Amino acid sequence: MLGVAIAAAMLLDMVMLATGMRESFRRLLVSRGFELRLAPKGTLPFDTDATIPGVAAITSIMRSNPDIREISPVLGASIHIPVGNRDVSGSVLGVDPSVQGDYELLSGRDPLSADAIVVNDYLLQQLGARVGDTLSVATGYDPQTRTYSGRRTLVITGRVRFIYGANEQSSAAMRRETLEAMRGGDMRDRASLFMVRVREGADAERVRDWIETQIPNVTAISIATAIAQVDARLSYFRQLAVILGAVSLFVGFLLVTTLVTVSVNERAGEIAVMRAIGVSKAHVVQQIVLEGVAISFAGAVLGLGLGLVTARYLNTILSAFPGLPMAIDFFLFQPKAAWSALALLIVSGIGAGVYPAWRAASLPIAESLRREAIA
Amino acid sequence: MLVFVLASSLLLQGTSPPPQAPPGRLRTIAIDEAFAARANLKPGDTVTVSSRADTVASARGAGGRAPGPDAERVIIGAIVRRGADPSEVARGDLRVRMHLDQLQHVSGYGDRVDRFAIATGPSTDIDGTIERINRPAFGFKAYRSRDIAVETSRTFQVVSRFHRAIGVITIVASSVFLLCIMVLKVEERRRDIAALRLMGISRSSVVRSIIIESALVAVLGSLLGVVLGWAASLLVNSHYQAVYSTPLEFSIVTTPVVAFAVSLSLLLGIGAGLLASLRLVRTPPLELFGR
Repeated sequence: MLGVAIAAAMLLDMVMLATGMRESFRRLLVSRGFELRLAPKGTLPFDTDATIPGVAAITSIMRSNPDIREISPVLGASIHIPVGNRDVSGSVLGVDPSVQGDYELLSGRDPLSADAIVVNDYLLQQLGARVGDTLSVATGYDPQTRTYSGRRTLVITGRVRFIYGANEQSSAAMRRETLEAMRGGDMRDRASLFMVRVREGADAERVRDWIETQIPNVTAISIATAIAQVDARLSYFRQLAVILGAVSLFVGFLLVTTLVTVSVNERAGEIAVMRAIGVSKAHVVQQIVLEGVAISFAGAVLGLGLGLVTARYLNTILSAFPGLPMAIDFFLFQPKAAWSALALLIVSGIGAGVYPAWRAASLPIAESLRREAIA
Repeated sequence: MLVFVLASSLLLQGTSPPPQAPPGRLRTIAIDEAFAARANLKPGDTVTVSSRADTVASARGAGGRAPGPDAERVIIGAIVRRGADPSEVARGDLRVRMHLDQLQHVSGYGDRVDRFAIATGPSTDIDGTIERINRPAFGFKAYRSRDIAVETSRTFQVVSRFHRAIGVITIVASSVFLLCIMVLKVEERRRDIAALRLMGISRSSVVRSIIIESALVAVLGSLLGVVLGWAASLLVNSHYQAVYSTPLEFSIVTTPVVAFAVSLSLLLGIGAGLLASLRLVRTPPLELFGR
């Protein structure tokens, strides 16, 4: 039974791995309601340091499409904050707080004014600061001259959780205009990313195609496209899940077959007696197959808890991928996954019981009875 | 900016007038195999390179305007095969190699680079060299290549840990399966063992015979497993090298790996046999007969 439970646990884990990443990523993308993202041509959002010029012009072009409801331009940069005799570095997003989709406010308020900044808990911890404190924030570091393009005194107005933030990442957000001013000439009217919300009922793919036609220097990524690209990059884990899942199912099948076969061999005499008193072959087959199903089912129930524990452990390992958003889970429990694993095991149990059941039902009755008597 | 540019920066212009010197004086670039296949390019083809997608797009448009000053017409001089770099797998980047000054001109980057790679002689004091560079360094820092590799290999460390965890789980699971099957198989022969015991065969002889049997099965199983593992490794490499267009070897079967697998298999096989047989010989023979 323990063997079947372990096979069931492995199977559940692999089903979770095969479907979890995609579902987790999809949930992350739709969490704020932005169906499209625009990145510099040929890149994924924040994959490179490239930026998109002409924010005002691009926004104007997009507003001409009645299917586009909201546009959120985002500018990314690095910041440096002196604390004592050291500098704390982090990433900053320049956003429009009224339409942003990058963070969730935990306490305080959005950076509505030009001298406001919101930070995540990790950065707060690094700075030893709290909401209401004043920081001297610099950006645009030039390693040649060891100077910054801009420095400002900003007030921490809120504590946030960055939806796409990775573990142990120091992050902050401020108004995009503030960041542009700090970065100076080379970053005026530029964005690292646009997030676009379409009108309810509008076809996001059609809007995506329209954008790419109208604005040739961007790559427009819909949720479906983004998921497909992530699928391609992480296809290895899906394939591994399929292979290990198949192996687990096969091993489980083998175990149940062995158990049922041994059980049938032990009870050859009893089965012969049952056949002798008139029990039909079909009834004998049915009983033995049900035995196999029962073993599989019991193993699956036992394996559910074990599977969830190992999935949590494996997810902890994979969550350490550098740059991976904290919200992404590789092993995501979905009831559908559990039902799929159970169904596969039940079918495997039926299959495992069929052969020994057929053998048992086909035993010559007289010979089996004689052998039992002699034994 | 990297020495390499992204594919979107290339424009193939067969009909627009070249913005620069006549073809005879054009410089060459090299592209990788994936790029050549996707863009249907071959050595000798003339293309225009620009770092601005809008330059490319506008030149492609109805106006057919020539590319701007940040573009250069070049000839495909060579198609190169990429190295086995794990960090490039699954990224799908297309790569171009240009002369440094070419890229600096096209990108408008000026007299700048991302990094210098320094090769030293066999007897060079590396640490001393690094220290001498860093002392007067202004705006950059020198590192050993090995140290950078460690820092940038976190992704592969995570994958390694994951593989190790899967390996441990698989071994534990396999041990349990093996034990289950050994117990069942030995249980099947309990009447034979009971008969042997009643004939006077000692417990230790019975245990020894079962262990020898399980050891033999473990050896045969290990050999079959090694062959299967080697075949699976070939299949994995062939599949993923085709999928990611890389010469990288994803799976390598080495002597230490084989030795470890065979030793573990033997240990588990003998252990399972021992546990199963001990369980049986401790039961009185008549009880094994079911009396």
